[in-house]
Amino acid sequence: MHQTAVEDDRIKGPVESSRQIQKVLNDGAQRLLARASDNRSLARESLAPRISAAVDKYLLRDDPQISEAEIAKFIDELQADDLCLIIACERGNENAWNDLVERFTTTVRSAARSASSNEDAAEDLAQSIWAELYGLRTRKDGAPASKLAYYSGRGSLAGWLRAVVGQLAVDTFRKQSRLVQTEEDTDLDRLAHDASLGEGQAILAGIPTPEESMSNRFAQADMQQALNTAVQELAAEDRLLVKLYYFDNLRLREAGAVLGVHEATASRRLTRIQTDLRKRVAKILIDERGWTQTETEKSFAEVAQHLDIAQI
Amino acid sequence: MKQETNNEIDLLLRRLGRSPETSVSAGNGDVDHLDADELSAYAENVLPAAARARYTMHLAECARCRALVVQLSSSAGVVPVAEVAKQSAPSALRKFLASLFSPMVLRYAVPALGLILVAAIGLFVLRPKQNGDGSIAQRTEAPASTNITTNTPDPNSSPAARGYIDQQKQEAAGKPAQSSGPTGNQPAAAARAATGTGSQVDATSRDELAKQEQQQQPRANEAPAPPAPKPTQASDEGKRPADAEARREAPSVQVAAAPSTAKTEDAVKVEDRKAAEIAKARSDADRVQTFGGASAGIVTRSKTQNKDDAEKDKDAGETRTIAGRHFRKKDNAWIDTAYDSSKSITTYTRGSEAYRSLTADEPAIKTIAEKLDGEVIVVWKGRTYRIR
Repeated sequence: MHQTAVEDDRIKGPVESSRQIQKVLNDGAQRLLARASDNRSLARESLAPRISAAVDKYLLRDDPQISEAEIAKFIDELQADDLCLIIACERGNENAWNDLVERFTTTVRSAARSASSNEDAAEDLAQSIWAELYGLRTRKDGAPASKLAYYSGRGSLAGWLRAVVGQLAVDTFRKQSRLVQTEEDTDLDRLAHDASLGEGQAILAGIPTPEESMSNRFAQADMQQALNTAVQELAAEDRLLVKLYYFDNLRLREAGAVLGVHEATASRRLTRIQTDLRKRVAKILIDERGWTQTETEKSFAEVAQHLDIAQI
Repeated sequence: MKQETNNEIDLLLRRLGRSPETSVSAGNGDVDHLDADELSAYAENVLPAAARARYTMHLAECARCRALVVQLSSSAGVVPVAEVAKQSAPSALRKFLASLFSPMVLRYAVPALGLILVAAIGLFVLRPKQNGDGSIAQRTEAPASTNITTNTPDPNSSPAARGYIDQQKQEAAGKPAQSSGPTGNQPAAAARAATGTGSQVDATSRDELAKQEQQQQPRANEAPAPPAPKPTQASDEGKRPADAEARREAPSVQVAAAPSTAKTEDAVKVEDRKAAEIAKARSDADRVQTFGGASAGIVTRSKTQNKDDAEKDKDAGETRTIAGRHFRKKDNAWIDTAYDSSKSITTYTRGSEAYRSLTADEPAIKTIAEKLDGEVIVVWKGRTYRIR
């Protein structure tokens, strides 16, 4: 009996499901219009496709069987005013466009300045952004290629505009952008890295000492490679923290902001990751390289000592 | 150790971080980077968990997108409010705990606490001292009150108690015959004339009891509580406690007044038995006090009892052990703890011929008699001796 019902659900599932989701989307759109302080006289039908796209992108892609309640909750968390403004702009509402420019000129200019190396470049970037948004370019089908179509309303409109500016800056002015790391030591490291690879050694070739034996240098290279492997094996969230802190040289507060956690939490998490990595590296060295526990401990101490001296 | 461990790995990670990252963005190929909407939503931490995890995986590998997210998150000024709130609770507790051990607290509050503790201990130590007399009196109150409580309701029920009362009456009647002589008979004759009934002995007995009460009254007036008369003569030592007991029991005797025979020539024997009864009653009461514990405390101390009483009672608690025998001091008499009042007792006077012959046979008794002053009742080889 129960099995038959399940089978029936499978047969009519997608149709029923799509109907139900459509209803949830329409209802959600109606609620969104109702709670917007200025809904720009938009109809529910003009809003529903945009909401549907956001639901697909952020919910159904990860969980096609997600509950209707979750979908409704997601819709109710969208930025109602910002989404209505953007859709109105997209639909050619001049008042909405004026409002958009008026409200976000400062935001776009500020973001452009941050992403540009000089004021002129920043101004050029800002103008490019407004052109992109207005849809001066046309798509293959002849419709204006406005970036406005990609705003889902999940995040704030200001944040989205900054992201658009940042992306355009990276694409257009990549070499001049501050986002490109041009630290001298990174270049030196790269040279050292490239040189050492030819000798079958890893990154630690940069700190050789005269009395250092060849076997010791190989041991250090093994350790660094093991650490690299161990980092790759970390959970994505932990690996991101390691990258933010050690590769991007962020402070814990900044790294925590990216991860959405407090600085103290980031600090505790980093300590745990360090302990975890130490264990992983030792395991790799013992299991895969045939090191003994004593050799591992000794190498850790020696490498740390060399690195400590090198940093001084 | 853990700190060192983390320091080592920290140095290695820093070194690794300075090496070129082999990220997905390195090749600048057709990698599917995060779009503006995803970047901003991630930076503002408003994505559903599953979607966020998906983008986290990309960000962990893509320096380009990571740089954008970092820039967006810093300019967005996203403060992890929930996390901050979560942190505030334990940190508040930690702050409170830390404040307990702050230098100020350790410098001032802890010594102050120590002083209070010392003061409290001082009070505790002094308090028993002040109450010491009271507690002893309270403790030794038990025998007296026990005597009263056991004797008062018993006259009609306990034959032993009745016998004891009879003995007291006998003693009360016999005493004037010994000491008062004819003078004591005058009020008795007056009493007989007034009542016109009863025998002469009865009248004498009643008269004597009345006389004893009269004697007791002034004492009671003088002091809050009737003091036990201190023995003045060695020959009276055995009798005096009995007298005191008799006086205490006088009301009971009056209530239970019954025809009694006059005191006769074997008055000494009666006195001995009476003393034995008292001793037994007291030892019983002591036992009650010892094993009952709180029972002594239950009996409330009368505020009218004076210090003499307390001192007398204090003596009662003293114990000695000589020649393997244990003695307890009661009413200036050392009584063997093994003493059984139902057994017959033989009295010896120190220095007498009989005493010398006894101590010649049993030197231990001599040792006991020499070491214990005053009257001694000792149980030796199944027999009971009183040494005066």
